[in-house]
Amino acid sequence: MRRLLALLVLLLPVWPAFAQPVVKTDNVRAELISEVAEVKAGEPFWVALRQTLRPHWHTYWKNPGDSGLPTEINWTLPAGVKADPIVWPVPTLIDVGGVTNYGFQDDVLLLVKITPPADLAGPLALVASANWLVCDDVCIPEDGKFSLSLPVGPAAKPADGATRALFDKARQAVPMESPWPTRFGLAKSGDPTLIVEVKGLKPDTISNVYFFPAEWGPVASMAKQSASVTADGIRIPLKKGDAKGGPPQQLSGTLVLTEKTGDGVHRQAFDVAAKLDPSFVPTAQPIAAAGGEQLSFAEALLFALIGGLILNLMPCVFPVLAMKAAAFARLAGHEKSAMRRDGLAYTAGVLVSFAAMAAAVVALRASVGEVNWGFQFQSPIFSLLIAYLFFVVGLNLSGLFEVGGNFAGVGQGLTARSGATGAFFTGVLAVVVATPCTAPFMAAALGFALSQPAPQTVAVLLAMGLGLALPYLALAMTPALQRLMPRPGAWMDRLRQFLAFPMYASAVWMIWVLTQQTGPDGVIYALGGMILIAFAIWLLRLGNQGGTASSIGGWLRRGLAAAAVLLAFAAAFKIEDSPATAASASGGPATGVSFDGWDHYSRARMTEAAAAGKPVFVDFTAAWCITCLVNERVALETTATRKAFEQAGAVKLKGDWTNRDPEITSLLKELGRAGVPLYLYWAPGADRPKILPQVLTEALIVSELTSSSQAKR
Amino acid sequence: MSIIVQRRSLLLAGAAVALVPATAWASPDLGKPAPLFTGTDTNGKSWSLAELKGKVVVLETTNHQCPYVAKHYRAGNMQAQQREATAKGVIWLTVAASAPGEEGFVNASQANELTKSRNAAPTAVILDPQSKIARAYGATVTPHMYIIDAAGILVYKGGIDSIPSSDTADIPKATQYVRVALDQVLSGKQVAEASTRPYGCSLKYGRNNA
Repeated sequence: MRRLLALLVLLLPVWPAFAQPVVKTDNVRAELISEVAEVKAGEPFWVALRQTLRPHWHTYWKNPGDSGLPTEINWTLPAGVKADPIVWPVPTLIDVGGVTNYGFQDDVLLLVKITPPADLAGPLALVASANWLVCDDVCIPEDGKFSLSLPVGPAAKPADGATRALFDKARQAVPMESPWPTRFGLAKSGDPTLIVEVKGLKPDTISNVYFFPAEWGPVASMAKQSASVTADGIRIPLKKGDAKGGPPQQLSGTLVLTEKTGDGVHRQAFDVAAKLDPSFVPTAQPIAAAGGEQLSFAEALLFALIGGLILNLMPCVFPVLAMKAAAFARLAGHEKSAMRRDGLAYTAGVLVSFAAMAAAVVALRASVGEVNWGFQFQSPIFSLLIAYLFFVVGLNLSGLFEVGGNFAGVGQGLTARSGATGAFFTGVLAVVVATPCTAPFMAAALGFALSQPAPQTVAVLLAMGLGLALPYLALAMTPALQRLMPRPGAWMDRLRQFLAFPMYASAVWMIWVLTQQTGPDGVIYALGGMILIAFAIWLLRLGNQGGTASSIGGWLRRGLAAAAVLLAFAAAFKIEDSPATAASASGGPATGVSFDGWDHYSRARMTEAAAAGKPVFVDFTAAWCITCLVNERVALETTATRKAFEQAGAVKLKGDWTNRDPEITSLLKELGRAGVPLYLYWAPGADRPKILPQVLTEALIVSELTSSSQAKR
Repeated sequence: MSIIVQRRSLLLAGAAVALVPATAWASPDLGKPAPLFTGTDTNGKSWSLAELKGKVVVLETTNHQCPYVAKHYRAGNMQAQQREATAKGVIWLTVAASAPGEEGFVNASQANELTKSRNAAPTAVILDPQSKIARAYGATVTPHMYIIDAAGILVYKGGIDSIPSSDTADIPKATQYVRVALDQVLSGKQVAEASTRPYGCSLKYGRNNA
């Protein structure tokens, strides 16, 4: 008997303390639970119908899909008490022999907000009758009556920890409002295609995208979905549903996706309400699968070719081309074969450069995982060197110096070489010069090429190169066109001198790009470097004009010139040290990271604040990281968390890894992390930070902050 | 240059189409010729939709163990509508569409026994163990209802009535969609609510041939 009693006592804690509003059927254990043990009059609180299901059985979401029925709760409440509709968690897709259902398995909490009146007295009796359909292969409609009596007190008293944890988990399973613009278009067939404009996404990290339509009618749930993810957003072609009537004006539902972050895989859900975009008419389905893809790839090549042609008109490519035209005019009267060789060499130069870039892109993509066009412009050193190059080419065009053997090694020097070699390097120069000038345009256009498998990437880039080379190639190959060229004369020199100015303008533009990366300091280094380079050229020119190369003066001048050039290039290293701002001019994503209420992360700042005994919270994030964004919305930027941060006197630092800031990369590596999100918390006086989970909750942060501040006392 | 950006979506869409598996079957269009089928009823008689031209045809997918089917038979609603319709010359075909081994699968004698015990009155009960007819019509539930007019055009698809529940008490309160639509078809009118939400148990397609 005593043993039996002991057993009973042991079993007791399993049952919550309050009355048991449980209904048990063969397939479901359903229970009405409350997040508060004691209610405060006038203060809303949450209850939930918890369904614990037999393995493999499921109940249904608000839109059950092709069959099934959602769970319903009908409340009988005292006067003045209000119950909101069910807040549904994210459903899962359940395939029952080809019939698509949206529902829940294992364990689900259907949240309901209850608002008692301000004049509530006595215990609050919540009475509900609920019915649900529970299915495996077969379906069984079930129902139950539930009642829950909650005492009323001066303050709301939370339920036990286990129950609160259930509610916390349930709230995490509720989709958040989509932060992105969403729209949909209707194809001629009436099939809708949903577009979620998430800029800067990394396609390889997003998978399992599915749109759960909120209601029966506009979308056929039976049709399989195959979403595509690009840097511009998520595109989900859908099948129209069976609803009669006009085309839908709005498409509501829940978007679910899986994001692979550096250290884990997270399922995220967003409620979207897309408006009809009449201007967007998706053209997808009638194309036969393989043929259609071929066709559009061919089209992509064609448009890349046209894009390359347009590059010729870009302000900084134009001078290079005009240079070439001038050289060409000089060639006029030469043999046709010489011209043809020249044109082919130039084309080869352009194509080889584009191929080299394509190879770099493919290789980088293989090692880094993703690459933006103009990725090289995220490096301020590159911007600086290109600015120098523009400047030097400009000086040459102005006539400050003629290129001789002294400058072999500078691209311009090579281009001045006679014959095919010169033509080849003019082609290379045209590409080098064209790329930065057009990076802002190309960033969008070549997103396509970059998202393709390697052969396509190379093919599209080569098509663009061919486009760039085409006008000159055509000229070299067609005597009829050559006759249209003006005769060589004094105009050529004047044109050449004039062309220096667009070149200088390009240099100025490059310096502006540089300041976007480095801040105002970049101007000093770049302009200073240019003076040094001009000075070096002047020195060398003196050497060319008089004196012997072997004289001491000659060596001195050369030494000085070399020192000046070295100094100019040293500026590059100085620039590398200065802090880069978040977004570079070309590669940065459209949406930035918000620093509102946060300080910029630096290692020094973090260690200083931690050493000073302050609690420090560090958030490493990136504009393209969805999980980061979700954490910010649901955990980091809520009123309760903000208040907790304030009360704890925490130092909040945010590191923006959008452009893979090396300082952050090194810290991630130290901590054995491959990417963001990463959250660090230094409790006051701690000698090392605690790494928080990649999925944050408000409760988790608040408890970290309060427990450590209590420990301090 | 922006042209290229638009092309990209086209290209990706092309790829996406290629990924859609062939198993996704579609719901037939209203106002178009209804999918033709042939089937054998519980008395061995063969039925072909093509031969039923000139008659209005009702299709009713069924699974007698499904609570939603049971609801309408228990209350006598389905039988009453079968009688009304056949009295007006309508061909009412009940399609037993569950695959062998699945809930609701019946052989001919079991089906006849059910007709008798439930006092049902369809023109015939067609045995569709391979769910061929159900698949052709994109049926997802039992009961899933279809009306085909005398010209062989599909004029109604959807639920039996407007209140999706398993409670017989809801039947009098609900709009009986099929009854309303049949009246409109027989009086030569356009069906007002021609596509409604079907409700019920998922149709028991065979597990391996889905």
